Amino acid sequence: MQRSVVVVLACALAALVVIVVSATSADDSANDSADASANASAANPGNLAGTTAYSPKLATARMGAQQATGAPSAAPLSPEGQRQRAAQLALWQGRYERAEQAYDNYRDTTRYPHESRPLAEHPDQVYPFAAISEDNKLRGANGEPVKGVKLRTTQERVFASGPDTIKLTVQAVDDNGAPLSLRITSASAQSVAEGKVLSAAIHSNLSFTDDGQGADANANDATFSTRLVPKDQGFANYAGTVRVLVQLSANGQTGVAQFDVIYNPDVPATWGSVREAVEAGSLNFYFKVKVLQAGRYVASARVDDANGKPFALLQFNDEVGVGEREFKMHVFGALVHDKRPAFPLRVRDVDGFLLIENRFPDRALMARQAGVVHTSGRYSVDNFSPKEWTSEERQRYLAEYAKDAEQAKDQITRLQR
Amino acid sequence: MARRLGPVRGFLALFAAVLACAAGVVYATNYSLWINGRSNTATPGNHADFTYWGPATTAAGVNKKSINWDGYNRISDQNYRVRDALDCYCTGTNWCYVAAHSAGNLQIGYALSLFGGSSRPKQNAVPNANGQCGAAAGGGTQTGWNIKWVDVAAGAGGGSELSNAGSWTTSEPLVGDLKTSTARAMYDHNQTRSKTFYMFAGSKGTLYSSILPGQDDEAVAYHSAGGVSGSGGAGFCNPSDWFCNDLTLGSAVNEGGTAKWANHYVMFRDDAQALNHYANGNWQGVISKVREDMAAFAN
Repeated sequence: MQRSVVVVLACALAALVVIVVSATSADDSANDSADASANASAANPGNLAGTTAYSPKLATARMGAQQATGAPSAAPLSPEGQRQRAAQLALWQGRYERAEQAYDNYRDTTRYPHESRPLAEHPDQVYPFAAISEDNKLRGANGEPVKGVKLRTTQERVFASGPDTIKLTVQAVDDNGAPLSLRITSASAQSVAEGKVLSAAIHSNLSFTDDGQGADANANDATFSTRLVPKDQGFANYAGTVRVLVQLSANGQTGVAQFDVIYNPDVPATWGSVREAVEAGSLNFYFKVKVLQAGRYVASARVDDANGKPFALLQFNDEVGVGEREFKMHVFGALVHDKRPAFPLRVRDVDGFLLIENRFPDRALMARQAGVVHTSGRYSVDNFSPKEWTSEERQRYLAEYAKDAEQAKDQITRLQR
Repeated sequence: MARRLGPVRGFLALFAAVLACAAGVVYATNYSLWINGRSNTATPGNHADFTYWGPATTAAGVNKKSINWDGYNRISDQNYRVRDALDCYCTGTNWCYVAAHSAGNLQIGYALSLFGGSSRPKQNAVPNANGQCGAAAGGGTQTGWNIKWVDVAAGAGGGSELSNAGSWTTSEPLVGDLKTSTARAMYDHNQTRSKTFYMFAGSKGTLYSSILPGQDDEAVAYHSAGGVSGSGGAGFCNPSDWFCNDLTLGSAVNEGGTAKWANHYVMFRDDAQALNHYANGNWQGVISKVREDMAAFAN
């Protein structure tokens, strides 16, 4: 009852506001409407809702035809009025183009679901376990960069959990990439306090060597290496940043190389075997997982075709309970139809982690599964559906983008009268 | 020049308002969300506080909101403020345009890549003091958020060599996330759920030009501001620089063959080397270009 009264009062107030506005307020110009207008529009975009057949480009063609046949002529405008109209027209044409671009891009990039994509679209995910290589300028004791000396570093991974180890290397090079003399003065791994939170400091000395032993691949190549093993170097009960600082002398100039590894001692789940099934026109891979900690898991796998050509990136992101579970990742049927990979497919380089919301570190990693972990059966392309992806999410987006394009088109038509 | 509404249009507006109330029609509203970067003095959770950017009276997109996170702590432990705002304004019948600056690029990228396909509560766009909203009429959930596109000024999604080099306070948690290796490993930057990230890159960089590779805006280099995939440390420049690979406009592969992240599109490259990284309390630097874009196209 009270709520009804409130609604009636709200409606009456809204009506009063409209009356006042209609009597006193200015019509929105292009410049002030961008921020001031409420942009209230009916939620249902009408005939455009849910259609993927709508084409803004066709709408453009329709507009062109409309212009060619001659729209109703406008009443004479003052020079200022003409200028304002031209500005409005340019604005709405820009908005139309943006809406058209959004529609086209979304339609084209959602032919397959977000979790089953061509691997080429994710260029830095093709070989996710390759060492991260970076060049940074050496900074001298005064903090200024030393001309002509760079530190070339590699680190196997940024995030690590449990028994993971991380190989680190450092090399000094000139501007052309040629090695320079390098001497390691000292190196250590240490914990890093987060902000103003006090925590016990952990410190562990490290040895970077160039003797071809242990982590070092080649003796006397001026590349110094070490292997960080957080679990065995004092960090077994620590979750946070492990910072490795390397004091060095490169080409006679002193400086520091720095690596950050974000470590969590917990391993939240372990991988098991993989099974597959062709279901609903797609090839599904089921990764068996023993989940020790419930929560949102994020995982990914790469798929190469029989010739070793990178084909697809499969991703998993969902809430999972404790126990024996399966992460389902699928090769979408239309992706097979479009790309025609040679079978059998090879699933490789699988990784995953428990995503911990609102915390740092925000993840606890499962062990990496490097290399081929599963080889599929051989299938004909006829086993797979050629249909594009459909979902409520996709339809919602296409309807909204189409509505935007249609509204912009209507404005252009109005301004051209 | 302002013009009064004509009597017929005024009556129609009145009629529509009354009819809408009577019918209980749900209206869709568009919002413009601004996500700040490092060092924010605005009140976290207060979506009306534009201190980070400039005067709140400046046009910056329809129904603009300032999604204030603290700009100091880690992306992961502050990202809830962004997700709260996205739940608040970008669900149900409401849609959003997003503008981000610097580390705000990491915030929206992280939210979309890791939570963009999750089930979200439909909310009512009425935030409390902590920036959290209540359920929309009818409640319910949906997959992901309603985001039309994202504008990024001086994006730090690829990190900054200033963080690598210790030019910024190393005890500041966010600085750790801004290391190039950490920023690039934090999430799959290609996974935007097909939302286009329009990148705006400034190049009026002189102060740290010896540390930042290629062209820069004094805080981030083009490899990050232009959404370039791969490792940090790579130099990209304006076409006038013959000794450095060009950052290409649009989504095309850069000179030298390096790709951009998927769904990343360079909308503005500062060929005149006129715009730096900073808002300077008045929507300045390369933020000025994003503000113009939002004012024109976030409608």
